[in-house]
Amino acid sequence: MSPIDPRLQEALDGERDPGDLPVDLREAYVRLISAAEMLTVTPRLSVASRVMAEIRRNPAPAQSEGPARRLIRWLGRPRAVTVRLRPVWTLALAAGLATVLLLQWPNGGPTPGVAQGIANFVGHFPGARSVEVVGSFNDWSRGTLHLSDENHDGIWHAAAVLPAGQHEYMFVVDGERWVPDPLADRYVDDGFGAGQQNALIIVRAVTAQP
Amino acid sequence: MSWMPVLALALVASPSGLVAQTGGPSTRLPGRVPAAALPAIDSIIAAAVAESLPTEPLVQKALEGSAKNIPADRLVNGVRRGLLQLRQARAILTRAQPGQPPPEGHIAAVAAALARGLSGPIVERLLTVAPDEAPGPALHAAADLIAHHFDPDSAADLLVEAHSKGLHGVRLLDVALAADHELQRPGGRTPSEALAHVRSILPNVPTPRRP
Repeated sequence: MSPIDPRLQEALDGERDPGDLPVDLREAYVRLISAAEMLTVTPRLSVASRVMAEIRRNPAPAQSEGPARRLIRWLGRPRAVTVRLRPVWTLALAAGLATVLLLQWPNGGPTPGVAQGIANFVGHFPGARSVEVVGSFNDWSRGTLHLSDENHDGIWHAAAVLPAGQHEYMFVVDGERWVPDPLADRYVDDGFGAGQQNALIIVRAVTAQP
Repeated sequence: MSWMPVLALALVASPSGLVAQTGGPSTRLPGRVPAAALPAIDSIIAAAVAESLPTEPLVQKALEGSAKNIPADRLVNGVRRGLLQLRQARAILTRAQPGQPPPEGHIAAVAAALARGLSGPIVERLLTVAPDEAPGPALHAAADLIAHHFDPDSAADLLVEAHSKGLHGVRLLDVALAADHELQRPGGRTPSEALAHVRSILPNVPTPRRP
């Protein structure tokens, strides 16, 4: 360790004006003063101190707590979960998930269950802002089955998984105009005495077809 | 075809698909049916319950009329007409299949066929052909043929023959579809010619493509 220059020592002791020091000693003086100021700042808590502070903030449950309450407390407390996966396992997991999805949805669509089939609803409503289907399959409730016109060509379409059997329905265009499906295979009088007709669709269970 | 709408529906639908809500009529109608019509409709549904008739067609008719903002008097009349059709349907079923109480599903199917304009005798005849099968497809097949101006008795003859040759259930709908295709074929066939042609190819009528 090299001895400190006496002139620098005097400046540090306040016995000499730092401005009188040569340039190199003046730079050394500034570095030493800065270091001394850093040492006077209150040191941050050590890791151990911070851990202990956290423990004091979240005290352990009282011994009188039952196991069910401790379980609920444990389940409700956020925890960091670290999953370490090799890239090869990540790829295998993704491939497995894709296989399951493809097996479940052949042709890219969902598979109806037993005694269910797929109903396609198509209508030509150029300029319409919205088209939806209401019928006996949704308790004639609005807002459950909307058609879409993705190409903006006026041809609206939706498909739904429905129970096999007959279903009466109508289109509701722009939220107010009730229209029987102009492309339906069947119609039936709606029974309210004004000669209005509902469209009628017969959904076949997919298992019923060869 | 984009499957996103189907997927969305599959996700929001109940496990058995997009189906009407279950629950008693008393829980499904208030709030949907106009208050002015509710007591009369409750009374009609209570009558159906007392007579062991299915109530779901009546509930659906009430919900339909309410959704369409049908005036209360016409709404009640529409539901009452549904009750009358259910009664008529059970009478037909009892005649066609005596000695056994008709299942509610069969009553509803026959009532739906009557609503489509099938006559009682045609319904009864088709019911006797296959008493152990759900009657809906055969009745709808007959209604399809009659809606396309085929003679009702000839249409029933064709379906009875198709059934005897092994076509059951929704395959009978294919018979009606094949007859309709023959009728619309370029060059023109008369309805009787179309029926005769389909009869000649039974039971090998085409199966429609899946949607």
